[in-house]
Amino acid sequence: MNLARPSSLKALMAALALLAVGLPAQAAPPRARVSVGATLPLTGSEARIGGFVKEGYELAFEEVNKAGGLQVGNQKLPVALTLLDDATNQATAVSLADKLINSDKVDFLLGTYSSHLIEAQSTVAEQYKVPYLQGGGGATKIFKRGFKYLFGTISPVELLGTTLMTWIDQQQKAGKLPKPAKIALLWENTAHGKDFRKGVSDFVAQNKGAYIISVDESFALDGKDFSALLGKVKAAKVDLFLADAHLPDYITMHRQYVAAGLCHKVVSYGARGSEKGAIDALGVENVKYVLSGVWWSSQLAAKPGPSRDFVTAFKARYGGRDPEWFQALAYLSAKTLFAAIQQAGTVDREAVRQKLATMKIKSLLPGGPLEFPAALGQQAQNPFVVQQNTPDGKSPIIFPQDVATGTGVAANPKCAN
Amino acid sequence: MAVLPLVLELSIYTHNLMTLTFLSVAGALAWNWMGGFLGQVSFGHAATFGVGGFVAARIVLWAPVPAPLAWLAGGLVAGVFALGAHPALRLRGPYFSIATIGLGEATRLLFTYWEDFTGGSSGLSLPIETALKHRLYWWGLGLVVVVTAATWLIRRSGLGLQLLAIKADVDAAADLGVSATFYQDLMIALSGAVVGVTGGMWASYFSFIEPNDMFGFDRSIGFVLMAVIGGVGTVLGPLLGAVVFVLLRQYLLASYPQLYLGVYGLLLIFIILFEPLGLTGLLRRLWRRLSALRGKA
Amino acid sequence: MDRFIDLALSAVLLAGLYATMAYGLGIIYGVLRVVNLAHGGVIMMGAYMGWVLHRKLGVDPYLSIPIVVAASYLLGVAMYRVLVRHLPRGAAGGPASLLLLFGFWLVLRNGAYLLFTGDDQSITTAWSTSSVVVLGSQLSVSRLAVLAIGSVIPVGLHLFLHRTHLGRAIRAVAQNPDSCTLVGVDVERIYAITFGIGTALAGVAGLLSATLFAFNPGSGSSELLKSFVVVVLGGMGSVPGTGLAALILAVVEVFAILVLPSYLTSAVGFVMLVLVLVIRPGGLFGHRVLG
Repeated sequence: MNLARPSSLKALMAALALLAVGLPAQAAPPRARVSVGATLPLTGSEARIGGFVKEGYELAFEEVNKAGGLQVGNQKLPVALTLLDDATNQATAVSLADKLINSDKVDFLLGTYSSHLIEAQSTVAEQYKVPYLQGGGGATKIFKRGFKYLFGTISPVELLGTTLMTWIDQQQKAGKLPKPAKIALLWENTAHGKDFRKGVSDFVAQNKGAYIISVDESFALDGKDFSALLGKVKAAKVDLFLADAHLPDYITMHRQYVAAGLCHKVVSYGARGSEKGAIDALGVENVKYVLSGVWWSSQLAAKPGPSRDFVTAFKARYGGRDPEWFQALAYLSAKTLFAAIQQAGTVDREAVRQKLATMKIKSLLPGGPLEFPAALGQQAQNPFVVQQNTPDGKSPIIFPQDVATGTGVAANPKCAN
Repeated sequence: MAVLPLVLELSIYTHNLMTLTFLSVAGALAWNWMGGFLGQVSFGHAATFGVGGFVAARIVLWAPVPAPLAWLAGGLVAGVFALGAHPALRLRGPYFSIATIGLGEATRLLFTYWEDFTGGSSGLSLPIETALKHRLYWWGLGLVVVVTAATWLIRRSGLGLQLLAIKADVDAAADLGVSATFYQDLMIALSGAVVGVTGGMWASYFSFIEPNDMFGFDRSIGFVLMAVIGGVGTVLGPLLGAVVFVLLRQYLLASYPQLYLGVYGLLLIFIILFEPLGLTGLLRRLWRRLSALRGKA
Repeated sequence: MDRFIDLALSAVLLAGLYATMAYGLGIIYGVLRVVNLAHGGVIMMGAYMGWVLHRKLGVDPYLSIPIVVAASYLLGVAMYRVLVRHLPRGAAGGPASLLLLFGFWLVLRNGAYLLFTGDDQSITTAWSTSSVVVLGSQLSVSRLAVLAIGSVIPVGLHLFLHRTHLGRAIRAVAQNPDSCTLVGVDVERIYAITFGIGTALAGVAGLLSATLFAFNPGSGSSELLKSFVVVVLGGMGSVPGTGLAALILAVVEVFAILVLPSYLTSAVGFVMLVLVLVIRPGGLFGHRVLG
């Protein structure tokens, strides 16, 4: 046998692999714990949020272990999280996932943060048939590949655009906004921004005559100068200013927006608006009436339920600080995985996957129970909540009605018209 | 025979890691043809990597073409694309490098905007092919062998001498009848083509590519780092450098993610100040020391 | 017409920012023939210095300019004495200097991550969102301040380089370092001082940047690249050239929105960089740089 030929070598490797698989079956030690792996951007451009997601995961793991472990069949097993830093780098996220699965031999994976990292990393999970739960990448594209092992607790970003427009539509029907209303749509050139734009433009297309998109422009991340772009918005004399931006661009753009004397009846920066960092950088005065749409808000704890339990536990663990949606979805992803393992009664990947696929549980998310519809790529479809900053520095939920803690104001009173 | 146990005991993870290392090695060697042999340090090679990757990905998505052909096509297009830098080739030293930064960034912005081709910031997803991913180990190894052989040949041949002449003094070389333009064009096209092929293989490996990542400045810097750490202008250099770069990265990210950047920075500084030929230079010094010791004994 | 004035004023403000960022890079290249690839890192450090002073000691950013200048100057001198001094001079030193300083930038970045975490920060003052009306347009006060400072710097630099003994020595070294040694000028000292001046300018640019934008340890790349464009356009080391080049770049970028989608206007600068390097490498007003 000429071992220099790839096919012979492979045959030999295969034979040995079979042998290797055969052996442990006889000598398998009793399972000591449930092992879950994850990577997160703990350094790099998404480090801040990576840190938040880590908090959510760790809280979930600590809770279960404090209760003695996870009920798997007739045993109570501790759960262990192996967390690695992918430095916000796609190739690293993939390599480390590979390591976690093939070298560290974890049973399941929890997702990293950011759509492009998840899109790359989930292919590894799918290849090696490892259930992968994530609450950090909402781009619909990720879920359109027919993957069976990928589950998203995070609703599509398009829905954020749609939800904002639904509220705006309500205001228009109540006569508070002109018809047709002109929109300036500015979106960061990322998967997130593109989906936001799609949500808004699809809604506009379905409501002919009610809205006109006068400005539709993308911008590069970490921009320094939006004056030309804002000048274009000013010249177009729009009624609604809908942007989608990360925190630093939100700060830069809104500063220039305010300094240029712009004012619109409705102003939104997508998922941004109520962060403390933004209020510090822009001043309470300037973020008044800004709308933001998020997957979850700590205000949902106003009513008793899973949200309140989560917020209480989080505040106790992290020194009284309020959690944001990053921690909430991370916590939810981990808890959902645990629930699936418990329901399946086993750590077998296929059984757990089956459970996840047909799962329907009450969760901290607004709207109905959490489920992963196969038709939509196993991505949750729970609604967003829309918040609006008030003059006194608060940010009540104004939409949907059933979880609202305040009423929204359209036709921004700050503007002269 | 001694190699076999190593190969057989490879876990899937190590196998995959080696595949990525092979791609990095091939890319670094090809970069070095420009940066080391010709002396024109490019900070924009990610442009050819990205072009190769997206062309190959598009071909695979469009028709059931066998992946290796798609990679070759990607490489060819990348090589032609690299020729677009022709006007910049007559710039010397830092001016050329700065021009490549400009070209690299302009390419990234334009291709990210060209959504129809690259999918924009959402990128392109390819169907998963686990078998291909595993076979990429052999394809990668094959590519490394070919590129290393080519590098060695270039170095030892008349071509190598001509490149060195151009690197040392363009005008003097011209006086001797060495047409700088022709050789520069040739090398940039070849260099770009090989890097383009690695881009295509990268796309097949990850099944998902995205322009900001493929064309990114960090990636361009990676090529430079690998060649410099290993030893610019040598044959062994980029090979060593790529291996160290990939493995060091994995190690640091697993154990000291907080120090990852600083370690690379210090490594660069150390190499530039004390051993310009990087690891290869260190090894040569060691070799000479050892030979001297043996000579004495 | 309104739109035109708005755009023109935006361009002028942007030019002030670009010029301020580019002077530091330009002077170092002009005298030492070294491309300071750590320029972006020094800008980032300047931003953090201002932020720390503002956050911890409540110092108004504009008042902390002298402190940042001094600290950045010392950093630059140290960088020269410890690192750059050992590089071979001239074109051969080109790639080596690029990489050495790039390595130092990585170290700076890592240091900032360790000290400040990767969170985005910015300096917020009472001026951050206020504006004044000029020619019918509302202009941001902080950007006007940057323009003002950016206009004072070249004047100051010019006076320094032409009216002081040290300045003349610097200019002499830039023209012919070997002759200078012959007449007893301590060239190494001049180099160190010039490098320090370059980084001091970068530090100030960072501080002013911090009053306008959010930043984090990874910032600096776009500032570096824009500075390149300006310095190359202006002719690698010419002070008035840099100012004019900044204006030209800003005008092209801002007015490009009339014909290009907003996302691509940032590509305009790079295209200009390459075109200038290829067609007129000495910059629009500069000297021969081909080998």
